[in-house]
Amino acid sequence: MLRKILIVGAGQAGLQLALGLQARGYEVTVMSDRTPDEIRAGDVMSTQCMFGTALGHERALGLDLWDATAPRVEGVGVSVAGPDGTRAVDWLGRLDAYGQSVDQRIKMAEWLDLFVARGGGLVVHPVAVSDIEWYGGNFDLVLLAAGKGPLAGMFDRDSLRSPYERPMRSLAVAYVHGLAPRPDRDTGAVQCNLIPGVGELFVIPALTLSGPCDILFFEGVPGGPLDVFQGIRSPQGRLNLTLSLMRQYVPWEYERTTTGVELTDSGATLCGRYAPTVRRPVAQLECGAPVLGVADVVVANDPITGQGSNNAARCAAIYLSAIEERGERPFDRAWMEATFEAYWSSVAPATKWTNAMLSPPPPHVLDLIAAAQSRQPIADRFANGFDEPADFEHWFFDPTKAATYVTTLDGNDA
Amino acid sequence: MVADDGGRGSASRSARVRPYALTQGRTAPGHILFVETLVTTLDCEQGEESALDAGRRDMPEVRAIIVLCRGVRSVAEVSALLNLPLGVVRVLISDLAAQGRISVYQTAGDTGRPDRALLERLLGGLRRL
Amino acid sequence: MDYAGSEPGVAGLHVPPLAVPNQRRSDGTPPITSTKIVVSGGFGVGKTTLVASVSEIEPLTTESVMTVMSESTDRLDGLPDKTTTTVAMDFGRVTLESDLVLYLFGTPGQGRFQFMWDDLVRGAVGAIVMVDTRRVEECFPAIDYFERSGLPFVVAINMFDGSPMYEESDLRDALSLRPETPLIECDARNRRSSAEALAQVVVHALRMVGAR
Repeated sequence: MLRKILIVGAGQAGLQLALGLQARGYEVTVMSDRTPDEIRAGDVMSTQCMFGTALGHERALGLDLWDATAPRVEGVGVSVAGPDGTRAVDWLGRLDAYGQSVDQRIKMAEWLDLFVARGGGLVVHPVAVSDIEWYGGNFDLVLLAAGKGPLAGMFDRDSLRSPYERPMRSLAVAYVHGLAPRPDRDTGAVQCNLIPGVGELFVIPALTLSGPCDILFFEGVPGGPLDVFQGIRSPQGRLNLTLSLMRQYVPWEYERTTTGVELTDSGATLCGRYAPTVRRPVAQLECGAPVLGVADVVVANDPITGQGSNNAARCAAIYLSAIEERGERPFDRAWMEATFEAYWSSVAPATKWTNAMLSPPPPHVLDLIAAAQSRQPIADRFANGFDEPADFEHWFFDPTKAATYVTTLDGNDA
Repeated sequence: MVADDGGRGSASRSARVRPYALTQGRTAPGHILFVETLVTTLDCEQGEESALDAGRRDMPEVRAIIVLCRGVRSVAEVSALLNLPLGVVRVLISDLAAQGRISVYQTAGDTGRPDRALLERLLGGLRRL
Repeated sequence: MDYAGSEPGVAGLHVPPLAVPNQRRSDGTPPITSTKIVVSGGFGVGKTTLVASVSEIEPLTTESVMTVMSESTDRLDGLPDKTTTTVAMDFGRVTLESDLVLYLFGTPGQGRFQFMWDDLVRGAVGAIVMVDTRRVEECFPAIDYFERSGLPFVVAINMFDGSPMYEESDLRDALSLRPETPLIECDARNRRSSAEALAQVVVHALRMVGAR
């Protein structure tokens, strides 16, 4: 008997899982509120920079369709704004494995087409909570992968794992063509510009509908000088505001725009905010059937560390294995809880690190960031933490471990 | 661009490989169920047993769709007449189509907007009303 | 019907299915094509009246989930400020040829929310926006939506008894219509008048096919 699985949501986790299950012989139905063409014609959804481990999950399923065309992210740069409008810190950590950011409008549309071409059932319909009730009886497993929308409200907030109750940053994203490369670099890198007390600007090389581009991504402390995008609806208005804020707060990045940058298309901007939230993984339908939450439905972190799509890829890989290992046995509540815990143990480090980055850094972290300026191994280790955040536990969070690490390095250097 | 990994990885180890590896898909893949999309139960001449297979664990809603669609019905009609939400009807019909128990018609808008020939037939039909 | 009485949707079986041609396709089903026109406008403007005057069945109602754009700018989810809501849609059916059936869908869409009818207009021939000259502002969201979506649409003034009469140019100004958007009159209670309004949608769609 084929096992029938319904996946609600057509994002990174939902479609990676759908295509993976399909290749393993499951009968999969995906619900999306948009057709592939509508996804392509819509607005950008994320900054979606994926690092080596997450790209590896895609590669294992043969889904790395843009490996040759998307710009490679070979490093992670960190700059810290000084009080006088200059860079107090500016270094580049090298990634062991390259990352890539493929506009999800391209990826999700293509994956959805691929899923359908391979015989998958696609139902285009916006999903209401009340609809979900009906699906329990007709499928062996219902997975809710519909991101941060109202459906996530079916899952109770886990207050022990959710330290914040409100949004910690306001977000403003703009995809642009025409950003000049840094004259001192010959490798593609994600650049993190930290503006103490104000927020961050990330510059991310990416592939969008019209080719390679750069993503300008402001994260503003709520109520602060970067939290000014609310109510600005025109894409050009958002870009203009982004540029004027860059000029004021990160003039070295603004200089890269002065040869003329333009939005990649009319859907190239995204603004918003949300509270980082971890939820209980299982929602109980009135009919008694349980529903399992996927990726950011159950673990929604702030995008400050760019872990969202990476976590989604991890979640899809872990759930895929768990479903396959389950064989013919029922996907009951206990299995769902255990499956989620496997995912949680994989993303808890990313969640801890992300939540830490939302608060003002403690003195030892400031020291580490400053020390990386003259010690390349620190810069490299920080960069590779974007791929494997679990490593931060060993040297980043705890002042004693940080001091020990730096001492060891200096001992080796000497 | 589109990789065919139908025989790759653990799919080749599975005893439950979907037929898509051989057929490249269900019999009629890629239909989007518009509200006006027409559907009809297959094998209606052979009586109720084939589509209403007694061995299946069909929900009552699924059986109701099978019965209602012995005539040609639109997705919206199925939803209205069975008092089921449109999204539920879409999922159930999509599932029945995948199982080969319901036939899904193409609509004039399947490839975007209706073409000139269809528009001219429509215009003639409306002017005759 | 043997399932009557115990199965959902008993009432449904009293609405006749489509009359179909005698020919059969390879899977044994008759050949037949369907399409749709969307009828939009403010509350009480005559959408259902128009649908009913043309439809060969009593108009039916289905509940669907719609995306709505909230007017609030306070976004909480980090995504464009959309939300979903359940809305009722009335629709009717008219068989124009033995193998060609047209569905007419009335859309809700007034009030605080700006509806996204993407799900409903996907694949449509075009749309009618119905206007009550006493409350022209109620059709603004529909006109905005169809202009943005590129769907061919005509604006139809529903001629209620006692509706004030206006010059076409004044109405076009009041509605801020683009020059290419047809403005017509119709009496939604009258079958011929409603059919002609629908025909005008098709004429306009043909014009836009030609312009492509």
